[in-house]
Amino acid sequence: MLAALAFNAVTLSPLIPWQQWLLWSHPAPDQRIAVEMANNEIRLPAEGIQIQTGTFVEFVATSKDVTYGFGVFRPDGTLVFQMQVVPGYENRMLWKFDAPGAYTVRSTEYSGPRHPEMYVRDAIHVVPEEASR
Amino acid sequence: MKRIGWLEKWTLRFAVMGLLFLALAILEGALMRTQLASAEQSLGGFETLLMRLRVGGAEASPATLFYAMLTAHPIVGIYGFAYMLVMGAFYFLVPYVLKKEIRYRSLVPVNFWVQTLGVLVAWGAGFFVLFNGLYTLYWPLPVAYDRVPLVGSIVFGAGLVVTELNVLLFVFNLFATVLSRSASDPPRPGFWRMLAATIGITQNLGITAMSSAVGPRRRAEELPVFIVAVGRGSIDTMINAVVMLSAGALLLTFGLPALRGIRLDPAMINPLLYKNWFWWGLDMIADGNVLMYTAGTWYLLVPLLVGRKLYGESVVRTVILADLLVSLFVWSHHLMADRPQPFGLRLLSGQFVTWGEFVTMGLTMFSVLMTIWLARPVALTTPLRFVLGSIFGFLIGGMAGLIQANVGLNLVLHNTQWVIGIHAHTQLLAGLSMLLFAVVYALVPMLTKLEIRSRRLADIHFWLWMAGALLMSYAMGMAGIRGMLRRTLYVDSPFQPYMIVAWAGGVLLALAFVAFLVNLVWTLGWSNVVGLVLPERRGEGEPARA
Repeated sequence: MLAALAFNAVTLSPLIPWQQWLLWSHPAPDQRIAVEMANNEIRLPAEGIQIQTGTFVEFVATSKDVTYGFGVFRPDGTLVFQMQVVPGYENRMLWKFDAPGAYTVRSTEYSGPRHPEMYVRDAIHVVPEEASR
Repeated sequence: MKRIGWLEKWTLRFAVMGLLFLALAILEGALMRTQLASAEQSLGGFETLLMRLRVGGAEASPATLFYAMLTAHPIVGIYGFAYMLVMGAFYFLVPYVLKKEIRYRSLVPVNFWVQTLGVLVAWGAGFFVLFNGLYTLYWPLPVAYDRVPLVGSIVFGAGLVVTELNVLLFVFNLFATVLSRSASDPPRPGFWRMLAATIGITQNLGITAMSSAVGPRRRAEELPVFIVAVGRGSIDTMINAVVMLSAGALLLTFGLPALRGIRLDPAMINPLLYKNWFWWGLDMIADGNVLMYTAGTWYLLVPLLVGRKLYGESVVRTVILADLLVSLFVWSHHLMADRPQPFGLRLLSGQFVTWGEFVTMGLTMFSVLMTIWLARPVALTTPLRFVLGSIFGFLIGGMAGLIQANVGLNLVLHNTQWVIGIHAHTQLLAGLSMLLFAVVYALVPMLTKLEIRSRRLADIHFWLWMAGALLMSYAMGMAGIRGMLRRTLYVDSPFQPYMIVAWAGGVLLALAFVAFLVNLVWTLGWSNVVGLVLPERRGEGEPARA
C-alpha cells in the first residue's frame, strides 16, 4: 500500500518533468502552434515550426472529421508526448523541449486505412535558446 | 466415456466452439504478426488465397487487410473464445454449485447458436467485407464511409446487436437460475433481497439475516462465494452488453438509410460523450467481468483442487462488492490522452480508481495464494498449475496497467505497443487464457469421468503457452516504450526486430495450442468429439422447463 502511495505521489510530483508545467505551474505559452487534421492529412504551419529549447509552446490541434492523434517523436523514434485529436474540440498541449533536434510528428490514433501515412518527418525544429538570439 | 448428460454435453460444445474461435484468433494474430514482421509487408500465399474470398479483396491494400483483421481479432477472442467458454462453464458450474437446475434450459442451445452466429457475423464483417473501424469504433469513424465500407459497417453492427442480445439472455438465465427455487426449497426472503445477496450487497450492508421466519436463519453469506462473484461480474456483463448493443444499433441507424442514399449527420453525436459512454461500457469487460469471473473461478477451483476452505472468505465477499465501485467508475483511464476530458475525471476515475484494482485484485490473489499455502503439501495438478499461471499473468499485466493509467506516464504510453502488449496481451494470454485452460482441464474429468490423457502434453502446453505469451507481450511492450504505436502498420520500421520476436512468441502459442488440442481429443476420443456435433437422440435431451 505504501508503494502504491509512493508511486502516485512521485508521478504526480514535479519529478516527472512535464508535470511541472502541466500540473503545477501552468505558465502562459511563449508560442502557439495550430495543427489541423482532416482527410488523413496533418496540416502544419506553412512557414515551418521552429521552437527554442526552454520556452513554452502550446500545440492546438483540431480535426475536421474523425478522431486522430498528435504525437511528437524524437529523432531516435521515442515518443516525447501525444494526445488525442477529438473533432469538435480544441485539443491543447503545453510543452517545453529541452533538447535541440528535428522532431517527427505522427498521428497516434487510427483514423482509417490511411492512418500509417499520417506522419511528417522532421516537422519540428528545436534549436538551442542561445542560437536563435 | 460414460454417457454424459444433456447439460454436460452442451458445456463441452461451448468449450469446443470457444476453442475453435481461439484457433481463429491465433490464425488472425499470425497473419497480422507476419505483416508487422515483414519489411515489405508482402502477403503470403495463404493471404492471397483469402483475398479471393473477400468482397473487394482484390483492390484492398495491405493496410486495409491489416486493419480489417485487427477489427475482427478482438471480437473473436473476447465474444467468441472467452464468452463461449464462460457461458459453457457457468451453465454447468452455477447449477452444480447451487445443486439446482438451469432455470430456462431451452436458452442453453439458443445461447450457443446465437453467440456463434453473432460472432461469426461481426467477424465476417471484418474478415470478408473488410470493415476496418476497429473494436474501439471511435465516433464518427465507423460511419465515415469514405474510410470504412458501408456494407461492412452494417454487417458489423448487426453482428454486435445479435451477440449482445444473446449475452443479455445468458445473464438473464444466470440470474433466473440463482434466484429460482424448487418446491422442496424452504421459503426465503423476497426477490430483491436475494438479488442483492447474489452480488454481495446484503451481507456487506450488514443486513445479514435474510429471514428470521425460515427455520435456520439463511444469511447472505450462505450463497457460495463463487456465485456472488458470478452475480457481481454479470452486472458488468449486462452493462457492457447494453452499451455495445447501443453502438451496434447506432451503426445500423446510420448505415441502413445510407444504403438508400440518405446520409444522417454524424455531428449530431458528440464524439467525446460517445467515447465516454463507449469506454464506460467496454471497460466493463477489461476491468469488470473478466476480473470478477476470474476471481470467482479462482475461489471455486482452488479450494476444490487443494481441499481447503478459501482463506479470508468474509473479506473476499466485501472485496467483490467493493470492486463494483471500481468497475463503475474506472473507464476514464482510456481517455487520459483526451485533453478535453475534464482533468478531475482523468485523475480520479482514470488514475486513482484504477489503483482500486490494485487493492481488490491484490486481496483476491492474496486470498487464493494463502489458501494454497495453508493447504500444503499440495499436488501441483494440471489445473492448479494453470491457475497459478493465470495469477502470474494478471499480476504482470495488472502492474503494467497501473503504470499506463497515470496522468503523467500516459503521455508517453498511450496507444503504444506497451498498452496492447505488456498490459493487454499479458492479461489475455497469460492471465485469462491460462484460467480458461485451467477450467477446461478441471471440468473435462468432472463432465466425462475421463482423466486428461497426457500429463506431459499438458506440461508442454503450459510452458510453451506461458513462454509464447510472455515473449510476445514483452517484445511488444519494449517496442512500445521505444515509441512504437499500436494500430499502426510501419514501413521500414526500426521496431522490426521486436516484431520478429513477437512473431516467434506467436509460433510458440500456436504450438502450445496444438499440444492442448491433441491432448483434449486424445482424452475424449474421436467418437465422443464427433458425438458433440451430432444432435441428441430422442429422449436424450430433457424437455425445457421454461
